[in-house]
Amino acid sequence: MKNIVLDATSDSARRYEHRFLVNEAVARLALRTSGTYLPLDRDDRPYQWSTTAYLDSYDWRIFRAAEAGEALQLRVREYHRTRPSEILAGASVYLEMKDDSASTSFKERYEVPTMSLPGYLRGEQKLPRDQNGLVERAERTIAGGVRPVVVTQYNRIAYSAPDASMRITADHNLMYLAVPWVTNDESSLPCRIGPVIAREPGVIIEVKWYQELPRWADELYSYIRDHMVNERPSKFVVALRHLLGEEQRSVAQ
Amino acid sequence: MKDLTVTMPPGSSTIPTSVVVVEDDPASADVLQRRLQANGMKVAVGRDGGEGLALVRQIVPDLVLLDVMLPDTDGYDVCLRIKSDGSIAHIPVIFLSARGEVVDKVRGLSCGAADYVTKPWNAAELLARIDAVLLQSRNARPPRLEPEAQRPDRARPVAAITLKDAARRAAAEKLLASRFDIVQDGSVAVDLILVDDSGTSDRDFADDGAAILVIAKGSETPAAEFARLDGDLGRHAELLVREMRLVRDMGAAADALITLATSLEAHDRFLMGHSERVAARAVSIAGLLGLDQAAVGTIRLGALLRDIGNAKLPPPIVHKAGELTAHERESLEQHPLLGEELLRRVSPLAPILPIIRWHHERLDGRGYPDHLTAEKIPLEVRVVSVADRFEALLADRPDRAAVSEPEAVRILQGAVGRGELDPAVVAALAALVRSTAQDMAQ
Repeated sequence: MKNIVLDATSDSARRYEHRFLVNEAVARLALRTSGTYLPLDRDDRPYQWSTTAYLDSYDWRIFRAAEAGEALQLRVREYHRTRPSEILAGASVYLEMKDDSASTSFKERYEVPTMSLPGYLRGEQKLPRDQNGLVERAERTIAGGVRPVVVTQYNRIAYSAPDASMRITADHNLMYLAVPWVTNDESSLPCRIGPVIAREPGVIIEVKWYQELPRWADELYSYIRDHMVNERPSKFVVALRHLLGEEQRSVAQ
Repeated sequence: MKDLTVTMPPGSSTIPTSVVVVEDDPASADVLQRRLQANGMKVAVGRDGGEGLALVRQIVPDLVLLDVMLPDTDGYDVCLRIKSDGSIAHIPVIFLSARGEVVDKVRGLSCGAADYVTKPWNAAELLARIDAVLLQSRNARPPRLEPEAQRPDRARPVAAITLKDAARRAAAEKLLASRFDIVQDGSVAVDLILVDDSGTSDRDFADDGAAILVIAKGSETPAAEFARLDGDLGRHAELLVREMRLVRDMGAAADALITLATSLEAHDRFLMGHSERVAARAVSIAGLLGLDQAAVGTIRLGALLRDIGNAKLPPPIVHKAGELTAHERESLEQHPLLGEELLRRVSPLAPILPIIRWHHERLDGRGYPDHLTAEKIPLEVRVVSVADRFEALLADRPDRAAVSEPEAVRILQGAVGRGELDPAVVAALAALVRSTAQDMAQ
């Protein structure tokens, strides 16, 4: 089969990943501190919108596995200067597989032409095999039937070490939205994003690193932990809880 | 919902542009309101984000002017809420703010605003920007039309000719005279309007029931809505008007079928008015999901006629209050097939047949009659299924009491979790219920 992957990136090892919901004051302080030690990541410019469509089956196999603490998330990510009202409208998208456990993650990311995505969703188009076996696992899930079920949109500010050893991000204006998916067919593209399911009232700070945090980052991490609203599961889990009415805490619409 | 203060300048004769201003400073709001009203606009003012958003949802204005710094939230948040609500997302937003840093403007525009004007604003510049944004917005959407005028049946159709060139107008009149009555003004509802190929007319014959025929210049091949000033014009125009009348007649035939379907419910106190409620709910959901007008029309008609197959079943089974026997249930589950059979002969109703046949299907394949799964059930059908189940839960039935709207949403979310119903459709329903509850709280 013709290989239509435009680009691919892969984590070389499992990465620690902790997420916190904080208020704006704590987020500002965290970003000021991060900016003192790390350069601004040029791939995540301020006020750029990240739009992520998460895939699952209608019996929610990926979500149930994630709730149990370990899942291979399948998602499609796009970036825009202005918040889009549609998904899958551009020339290419990033098809990502993320092995997400309680505190570490592992990610494969493939840039593919948008029009080839339905082929991947139907299992007719195959990605090149990766060293970590995520593609093979993803294919088994896809064979059971998956489609975009929920969308997140947010503005991200990111600071990254030049050697990618650590990354601190702040996501604000985070919204969870429904997606009225028609069918895994090329005619479904682009797809209008549905209504807002919930909005996150604060800022999500994510701290990601490979080996050990430097001293300043360790202190910042402790400060965030002490001043957070709460520790957060992944956006996928929160989004699905809202979608299925399983989120106890109601977030004002 | 609070009473709205919507004011109009005296002597307005045309439909004024409707604007919602969200501004917490009374003096600024007053100056802006006066300036807009002096330019023929109808203005409503919201003093904070919540009030402004409620006004936008209630009025559905042509434009929103939004301050950034508000007492209860910020303008970016209000803009995001407008742009993420399918029923009002099309309304252009202009930020008016004293915050004039590049980063503020970028943030405002990235939230979906059409423009960003810094305070203190210059009236001429602001009005020019408003005009530009409104022009862009109107070009992107079909024009707002007044309700269709009552049109008596006539032997000869009526045409209005709005060609600017007098010679071309006279030629068109001559070509149409044998088949049409020609009128010169908008006092009579017309069947046909002839326009120049610029698509605009300087006379007001706005009527969404009339066929529009564009008179093309040059030698390009005319499409259905285009014609040339030649001997074929009369025939072309007459065909177009007949097609328009046929569509209207089909609407009347559908109305008759709806009367039949709803009359079946009128004898059952538990079902009375159920179809109308399902249709209204399904249309609201479809609107929030951003489905196009054709799909919304299909959903409305399909929802109204979905149970018409019951007309072919014995009334004692359809209206039985107690538990059904296996045989009775089997009979009742035939109603989607019977309904489809009934309507299949009416070819213009073809788009609603999937709703008639599949409105009891479930995503997990455990519905009937065809046990379809997931996306094999069209989205329009999934919308009607959710509206049907929701409205059923809100009504008392012989075997159970009605539940509240939030409780019904929770029950349907449970059904989504079990893989029965479409998650996005139930999410849209939940958003509607939440919005209604918030309106009532205000």
